[in-house]
Amino acid sequence: MRFYYITFRSVTYAQRGERILQKEGIRCILLRTPRWMEEQGCGYCLRLWAEGVKPALQLLQMAGVSYRKVYIQGRDGQLEEMTV
Amino acid sequence: MIYLDSGATSFHKPPQVYRAVMDAMRSCANPGRGGYPAATAAARRIYACREAAAELFDCEPQQVVLTGSCTHGLNIAIRSLVRSGGRVVISGFEHNAVTRPLHALGAEIRVAGRKLFDWEDTLTRFEEALRRGAEAAVFTHVSNVFGYVLPVEQMARLCRQYGVPFILDAAQSAGSIPVSFRSFGADFIAMPGHKGLLGPQGTGLLLCAQSGKPLLQGGTGSDSIRQDMPEDLPERLEPGTLNVPGFAGLTQGLRYLRNVGVKTIGSREHRQLLHCVSGLRRLGMQVFSGPHQAGTLSFLPGMDCEEAAEKLAQLGIAVRAGIHCAPLAHESAGTLATGTVRVSFGYDCEPGETEEFLRAASKFSRIPQ
Repeated sequence: MRFYYITFRSVTYAQRGERILQKEGIRCILLRTPRWMEEQGCGYCLRLWAEGVKPALQLLQMAGVSYRKVYIQGRDGQLEEMTV
Repeated sequence: MIYLDSGATSFHKPPQVYRAVMDAMRSCANPGRGGYPAATAAARRIYACREAAAELFDCEPQQVVLTGSCTHGLNIAIRSLVRSGGRVVISGFEHNAVTRPLHALGAEIRVAGRKLFDWEDTLTRFEEALRRGAEAAVFTHVSNVFGYVLPVEQMARLCRQYGVPFILDAAQSAGSIPVSFRSFGADFIAMPGHKGLLGPQGTGLLLCAQSGKPLLQGGTGSDSIRQDMPEDLPERLEPGTLNVPGFAGLTQGLRYLRNVGVKTIGSREHRQLLHCVSGLRRLGMQVFSGPHQAGTLSFLPGMDCEEAAEKLAQLGIAVRAGIHCAPLAHESAGTLATGTVRVSFGYDCEPGETEEFLRAASKFSRIPQ
């Protein structure tokens, strides 16, 4: 199972994103952002399943919920930043 | 006790408010600081409060800044818009929560519109003042002393017309008069959580159309390496640990209002007001009342106002006397020397309570009953 991580500037933005995605039936989990993903220190992210990532990013953009970065989990389990 | 001091705080809250406070105290850690269940539970309580407020006031959840009081929110808003020595237009019915921060900034204060219940005077004077130029305008929705409902929609339109940013003090209207942040166009609207919104003391909301200037700096749980405050709302204006039990309670107050309806509550309060005004007049009291009045009135009891309030307290009636932290409003109405006795109705006021109050007031009426 492959996961994507969308990182946000604050817990409020991550929660707003979570609400929007869940309303549209996209499964996601709110988590603390792994330290190495966040240059500015602490933050929150949404972890979601691979099939949901494209519509998720579209929904967030449409709602004006800005996110910082998107990470994809490779076949080897390693996470790497994805260019969006 | 018959409680007629809702202008100070709502004393009886809906039962779910008390339950939510206790539940949050038992189950919540620090919001936005950790990823374990108790921290996440706290963050969910906080976000639920933003959502409930956004729904009631027609804005986005991230525009809802959680404050410790309406005064706290007004201080943030005023410091965001007003520079030292800047010219500011205010109404003649402002609370010290507005005037003292302006004095502290050394603002050039222009008071516009001092006639009670007179929309024409308020609007004419307000426009005259805006025309002379202003950095900002600050005005209350409802006078905390007299219940005068100012023509805030027209005042907002004038501010937009003259390009003057403005702040609305909704301390006495939130929960009794519907407010749409989106259509109102204010830069900031400040309100307490513990009055008409039925939350606990120590809570307030500041609705923000712009990022604002932080009054305090500190931890926000985000962007921790940066030494300046984050740019994004609401965290930018919310350093330090939030009052999770308080805002969990406030969420329930906001939901109660949504379910019952703000207009319904405002009408209930206004009915009691009219009943009370006519009753006090029958007793020969000088009552300040007129068109455009919410559920608050002031009257002169024919004796020292504090002594009258004390006599009423001995009879089990809670009202507030004195200057009500609003010397400007009393000066406008000509009651600064005497003060007044204020009666303010809340969401749960009952006709029988007004009757009881009038019976008590009749004991010091000069007209034989």
